[in-house]
This record gives sequence, C-alpha cells and structure tokens, in this order.
Amino acid sequence: MFGYVRPAAHRLSEEENERFRAAYCGLCHTLGRKYGFAARFLLNYDFTLLAILLSLGTDTRIGCRRCVVHPCKGCSAMNASSALDTAAAYSVVLSWWQLQDHIADHGFFAALGYRFAALLLRRAYRKARADAADFDTAVRAQLQKLSEREAAHCASLDAAAEPFATLLSQLALAEPDVLKRRVYAQLFYHLGRWIYLVDAADDFTDDAKSGNYNPIRYRYSLSGDALTDEVRCALGETLDASIRQMASAYALLDAGAWTGVLDSIFYDSLYGIGGAVLRGVYRKPSRLRHEQTTEGDTQ
Amino acid sequence: MTDPYKVLNVSPNATDEEVKHAYRELARKYHPDNYHDNPLADLAQEKMKEINEAYEQVQRQRKARSGYTAQQGSYSSYSYSSTSYQTAGADPLLRRVRIAINNGDITQAERLLNEAQEHNADWNFLMGIVCHRRGWMDDAKRYIQTACQMDPDNAEYRKAMEMFNNSGYQPAGFRGFGSMTYGNSDCMRLCAAWSCCVLSGGRCCIC
Repeated sequence: MFGYVRPAAHRLSEEENERFRAAYCGLCHTLGRKYGFAARFLLNYDFTLLAILLSLGTDTRIGCRRCVVHPCKGCSAMNASSALDTAAAYSVVLSWWQLQDHIADHGFFAALGYRFAALLLRRAYRKARADAADFDTAVRAQLQKLSEREAAHCASLDAAAEPFATLLSQLALAEPDVLKRRVYAQLFYHLGRWIYLVDAADDFTDDAKSGNYNPIRYRYSLSGDALTDEVRCALGETLDASIRQMASAYALLDAGAWTGVLDSIFYDSLYGIGGAVLRGVYRKPSRLRHEQTTEGDTQ
Repeated sequence: MTDPYKVLNVSPNATDEEVKHAYRELARKYHPDNYHDNPLADLAQEKMKEINEAYEQVQRQRKARSGYTAQQGSYSSYSYSSTSYQTAGADPLLRRVRIAINNGDITQAERLLNEAQEHNADWNFLMGIVCHRRGWMDDAKRYIQTACQMDPDNAEYRKAMEMFNNSGYQPAGFRGFGSMTYGNSDCMRLCAAWSCCVLSGGRCCIC
C-alpha cells in the first residue's frame, strides 16, 4: 500500500482528529503486538482507513497507551478489535508481496535494501499468512496478473488497475454481513483503482526516466517525461469517477461516530490528494505526529 | 418498527421545516442518478423506500396531533429501473447481450460481445455498459463516446454519456469538488474547455 488516503485535517474537529489518530495508533499497536516491532514500520494511512471501515457498527473503545514514539505521555489508541487484527494481518501480507515484487524487479545489488526488509519481516509474514490465508492466496494471484499485464505494456488504465483493485476488494471478505460485504467490495475496488492510478501519475516522471512500465504512458501514447494538461484533465475525470463510486457506496454505510472523518475523506481529501499528484505538488506525508506541518498539502 | 425520526436523522422536536430539509438531503443522497448502472442500486432503492416511509409516517403523526396542514409528498415516484436496457433490436447476438446485462450476468455479456464480428455503435455502447458495471470507468467512457460518435442521434447512448457528467452526491459544504478543480479555478476553466471540445466532437455535450 502507498499511504495516500488520509482525512482533510482542516475539516475535522479536535475530537475527530483525535479519533483518527487513535485508529492510526491502534493499528500501530496491533502490528507490534501481533507481528513484532519491525511490522510497525508497515503502518500507513490506507490501512488505517481500512481498519476504520471494518470497525463500523462495532463497539470501538479508545484507551491511552504508551509506545516508543510516545513513551511518557502516551497517546489515545483504539483498543484491540477484530477490525484492527484484520487490517494488521492484511497489511503485513500485502507489504510482504510488494517487497517480493520489488526484489524480483531489481537487480541483486539494487534490491539489497528490499532483501534486508524482507529478512526483518519474514517471521511477521509467516504469522500473518496463518491469520489471513485466503487473502495471501488472492494477493499472490493478483500481483502475478499485474506483472503479466505490466510486462505486456497494457494500454488500458482499467485493465492495468484491475488486479490491484480486485485485490483490495478481497478485503471485503473479512465482513460477515452479506449486504455490507457488497458495499465494501465496491468501495474497496474503487479505492484500489484510485490508489493504483494516483500512484501511476505520481511515478510518471520517474518511470519515464528509468524506462519502467507506466500505464499512463501507453494509454495516452506519451513520449515525454511530463504529463500534458489534456492528460491531467482526462486522468482527473477518471479518478473522480472512482471517488464518486466510493462515495455512493460509502453513503450506504452507517458511519456513526466516524462520520466526520469519513465524510472528509470521501467528499473532500481524495479530490485534493489526486489533484495535488496530478499537478505535481504532492508531498508524501510524514508520520501522523507531524500532521500539523503537512495538512496544507491537499489544499 | 424503526423510529422514523432516527431514519431521517432528526430530533422528534425538530420543526416541520427541519424535517423536510433532512428528508430532502437524504433523498438527494440516494437519488437514482447517483446509482445509475451501479451494482449497489438495489441497496440505494431500499434506503430510499425506508426514508420515504419514515417521512410519510412523521407527516401522518404530526397531522393527527394538531390538525396539521398538508405537506409536500415524498418523492416516491423515483425510479431505479433505468439500469435495465431495452432488449428490442435487429442483431440477435446483441439482443442476448442486453438480456445478459439486465440479468446482471456481465461475464456472459462480455463473452457474447467478444464473439461479435461487427463492432458497430450498439456494440460499442454495450461494451461501455459492461465496462461500467465492472468499474472500468475509463474504458467505459471510451466505448460510449465511440458509440455516440458513430450514432450521434441515439438518445440511449447520449443518456449513458450523462453518467460521466453526474457529480454524484456531495453534502452541503463539500460541493463542486473535482481532482483538477480542487482549489484551482484556472484548471477548472481549462478542463471545462477541454471536456467541451472533446465531447462536442462526439456531439454528446449539452454545453
């Protein structure tokens, strides 16, 4: 995962900001508790959103915890729950296979960093695979499909985005309620499509320089290393189409206490983040405790 | 039965105007236009039914309580059936595709489309609908645009093209957002000009 999705902090009340931080810290604690210290480095915003969505309709309590980052004062963190457990297991499995993908794509020396990370995460992955065996199989199958499409220089944005989008829609399988599962499957599919395309736009210049596959280059037959205005507009429209599909699925969920946080994501910040990436002014946020200095990014 | 005020998300002490406002906002949220050709349209329809019933119940209760004057009725005439496609047509293969789409069997519809020899306007339109149901929004738009260009006077194709122009539900305070228009009015003008240019090439644009 890439960590693009986060709420529009300027829209949230102090309590809502605190609530989102609690989900983020709760996921960090769960990663550490279940999969060891190294797994905490896999923490990102996208999986925090997943944990929040999977926890809708369940009793989520927030407590105060201490950790390495907050050793004295402690921080509010969502208490252990099955939604956090699921998000943590999926996060480890997906990150592991993405690492394997990087190792396969780079030469021995260029991939040394990834190999080292994989070594640190091996035990965490084995435990997470035992907790989410179906998801592990799905991730392998979809990433295989993705590398085949990339190798074939797929010129359709949708065909290229499909494996990652399908992979995220598999996250819905964790939801026991049939109707909610349908809503999640649709929401996560478009979240996956949006993340994949935003990442492709973000990497466009680097890919053009390194010669790596990028679906946008083939879809719009671009030869330079920058997006043209027409392509930016067309990409903006197709990203918006996915955001609207996410919003129409989200409207069917009862967000309860998370309404403020989730409204700001599905009705505001996704547009801001996508727009910032397309205009080339997006900066990856640092960890959440520095949020105050990065919240202006999406505006 | 569920508390109608809870469904409408208002307090039982809310004024008539506040109840009406809450109802209208919810009706806008679950409007069929936001769920056109959407796999969750049946769930939105269910929600709309629930909201309509709650609103009517509140009106009945208030009327019974104090000789209350009649209010505007609910939008119960909203139709979600627009996602069903007419199955009349010359080509028997494409007729079968339309039946498969209406039955929700997208895999079968795609298989049949791949068998077709001729890729006429109708083929492109149906391929666009199949893509849209799959969530392949960029390909869907390309196919439907092609159908519009091949047969500019077809009302069904033009209506499908409108799906891409619908900005969906956005609550008060969030309206008018788009990735390229977010906090940048120059981009908005540029994109609007570009969209008009592309779409009017296919004569699918109202602008």
